[in-house]
Amino acid sequence: MHKTISLALGSICAVFLFFTMISAIRFVQSSWQPPQLQTTQDEEYRLVLVTKDLGTPFWNEVGEGAKAEAQKSGANLEIWGTYGEDREDFLKQLEIAIDSKVDGIIVQGMDQDAFDNLTKVKAAFYGIPIITVASDVPMSESMRKTYVGSDAWEAGKTIGQRLISDMGDQGQVVLMGDERKEYDQKQRISGIQSVLSQHPGIQIEYVTSSDEEEQISAATQNVMNVFPEVKAFISVDANLTPVMVQEIERRSQVEPYYIYSFDDNPNILALLRRGKIDGMIQQSPVEMGETGVKMMLSWLTGETVPLNAQGYMTQIRMLSPEDVQ
Amino acid sequence: MIGIQRKIWTLAAIVMFIMASIWITLTYYNQKTQDQYDDILQRYLLMNEVTSESSQTVNALNIYLLTPTEGNLSSLRRVEQRLQAAKSSIVTLRNEKNDFVLTSYMNLIDSLMETTNRSIMFKSERESEESSKAFAEATRISRYISEMTLQLIDIELNTYEQFYRSIIEQAEELKKLGIWILLAITFGLLLFTYWFSLSITRPVQQLTKAAQELAKGRFERQIVVNSSDEISFLATTFERMRVNINNLIVEIREKARLESELQQSRLLLKESQLRSLQSQINPHFLFNILDTLSKKAFLEGAEETSDLLVSVAGLLRYNLKRLDRPVTLYDEVRVVRQYMEIQSARFTERLKLVTQIDEHCLAVQMPGLTLQPIIENAVIHGIEPLEEGGMITVKITDADDHVHIEIADNGPGMNPDKIQDILEERVVEPEGHSTGIGFGNVVRRLRLFYGVSDVIEICSEDGQGVHVLLKLPKTRRSDTYDKAIDRG
Repeated sequence: MHKTISLALGSICAVFLFFTMISAIRFVQSSWQPPQLQTTQDEEYRLVLVTKDLGTPFWNEVGEGAKAEAQKSGANLEIWGTYGEDREDFLKQLEIAIDSKVDGIIVQGMDQDAFDNLTKVKAAFYGIPIITVASDVPMSESMRKTYVGSDAWEAGKTIGQRLISDMGDQGQVVLMGDERKEYDQKQRISGIQSVLSQHPGIQIEYVTSSDEEEQISAATQNVMNVFPEVKAFISVDANLTPVMVQEIERRSQVEPYYIYSFDDNPNILALLRRGKIDGMIQQSPVEMGETGVKMMLSWLTGETVPLNAQGYMTQIRMLSPEDVQ
Repeated sequence: MIGIQRKIWTLAAIVMFIMASIWITLTYYNQKTQDQYDDILQRYLLMNEVTSESSQTVNALNIYLLTPTEGNLSSLRRVEQRLQAAKSSIVTLRNEKNDFVLTSYMNLIDSLMETTNRSIMFKSERESEESSKAFAEATRISRYISEMTLQLIDIELNTYEQFYRSIIEQAEELKKLGIWILLAITFGLLLFTYWFSLSITRPVQQLTKAAQELAKGRFERQIVVNSSDEISFLATTFERMRVNINNLIVEIREKARLESELQQSRLLLKESQLRSLQSQINPHFLFNILDTLSKKAFLEGAEETSDLLVSVAGLLRYNLKRLDRPVTLYDEVRVVRQYMEIQSARFTERLKLVTQIDEHCLAVQMPGLTLQPIIENAVIHGIEPLEEGGMITVKITDADDHVHIEIADNGPGMNPDKIQDILEERVVEPEGHSTGIGFGNVVRRLRLFYGVSDVIEICSEDGQGVHVLLKLPKTRRSDTYDKAIDRG
């Protein structure tokens, strides 16, 4: 009798003790220490990469390259920017970066007075070096230390040569560009023109549009109405390409047309893969990021002073639909 | 010895200890959580302070630019100082995740103050346009600061998310733990209390059982109590009492036995007396007649007859008087002689008595009428059947603390069954012409008188006669016989 009661009570007690132990262990384990507070500031260089096309594959790759390089060389890099070409916000981010007195700013170039004002006056006032990446703004306007990215003129020339070899030296060619006419766009156009102008049988029509969808489609329709004989389209602003192709497709088949584009829009690669466009200039975003950080650091440490004002060119490659199948 | 009080104290102390430790743990944990909450809140408050101070700076700057008085300037300076203080306190928020942003944040504050100073400077140099440009910039920076505050708070939330969750989780776990602890302690205490109460009640139960046994009259079982407290003391005392009572009971039984034995002996005496009385119609009358006969015989010259009559009278008197009290061996021997004289008259030459008596031994005490019945038995069974007669030998010798009386005849001997009967004190039908007291009666009275059973030995062989040996202790074990006799 006594033994039964003792045994029963003892076993119940043991079971509860077991659960208590488990609960206690879980309780202790669930305590998570807050992150260690840091008393001193990192001695590393604080760099900021500012872009207005955050989230696109192109800029993601630039960011990855830059991050990797920064980590390798012990710099602290943050990627700031805006989504979908919000220029206002982009400029604000740039100003914050300058006001925050970072050690160096790597920025997507924007050929606009406000941008130039910030880089030339304010950044210079605070003594912050600026490197443009992927899109250049001439040194005279932006006081940038250097440019890292594709050689836009060279890229234009490559597209021009490809067009000639695909189409021959006869025909009407439409160059579709953004109405803001940024610096690198101008470079591209002049590169293309440097090739096409050697062929008198080729007429060049330059069409501009804003980056709004209706505008692009209107411009495309317009040019197709005005120049029904057009044989080739070259989109010098990748952001215009998808709508343009879509518009052409709506009118007729795209196959007869020779369509070329640059790659700094996420939809281009898909278009190329589907054979909607005939060629694409592929740039090297990772290399841009890496080189950008590398150059910035070498300027900051005084290794290379001054940096090459012409810029450091990254690789470009012409891609055909066959290459991406 | 662990007292019951100490046991209770121990139990209470253990309970108190468990309660106290749980309470302390919980309080400690609560305090810790409270501190953590305070820290977290402090961080947010600090960030908020920077935001509000920066916008106040811009506000003060605006007021100063509108009405550039000394008072407004000094109030601007005060706000700036507060901003500076907020900035320095914000350093403490730095951790791995927000290092970059925090540095930017502090630099933004610096920029704000620089821009503010620039604006004031331009104002004092009366360059209004530059001043208001700087003011616009300051306003922008102030806005950036508040935006970055949000960003910081965002980072803060991300960084500490797991921590916050862990706090919530921990609180949840603590609740469960509390329930488990409560259950475990409840049952643990139940178990402990059960054992504890058993350790008190079990000895009590054992004691109760023992008491019941005693009440039922079983005094033989030993009282065993497994305990080391006051109950054990009680049990030991109780056990001692039991042993004492047991001893007393044994003694009382012994006494009762003796009492009954005495009763029996008294009955035997009564029987003897009765028989004596039956055989003597009127002793005094008989004595007188015997005396008269003796004198007459003497006068008539029959001296032998006269002596015989005297002997008969003496024997009769002894028979009547001496049964109820101890006599000396001397008296007994005298009676035996008288008896033998009478018997000699009967058997003449056929009976021979040989006595060999150590005179020193005659003072020994013994029950009356002991020897005579034995001699009589010898005469009846040893001499009577033999035509040529026989010899009876009475030998009294000293054997240290005993007196040995040997009575032997050379008759035909005694049946072993009969000897057995005599030694076991069975009533034997007396044979016709004895004085009335049987051998068995004698044995019984001897044993009662001395309180020992080893007082007589009888050995007999066919044709060799009977040899009776009485071993009388010189000192009696008790005198209960006398007392009982006295009372009777």
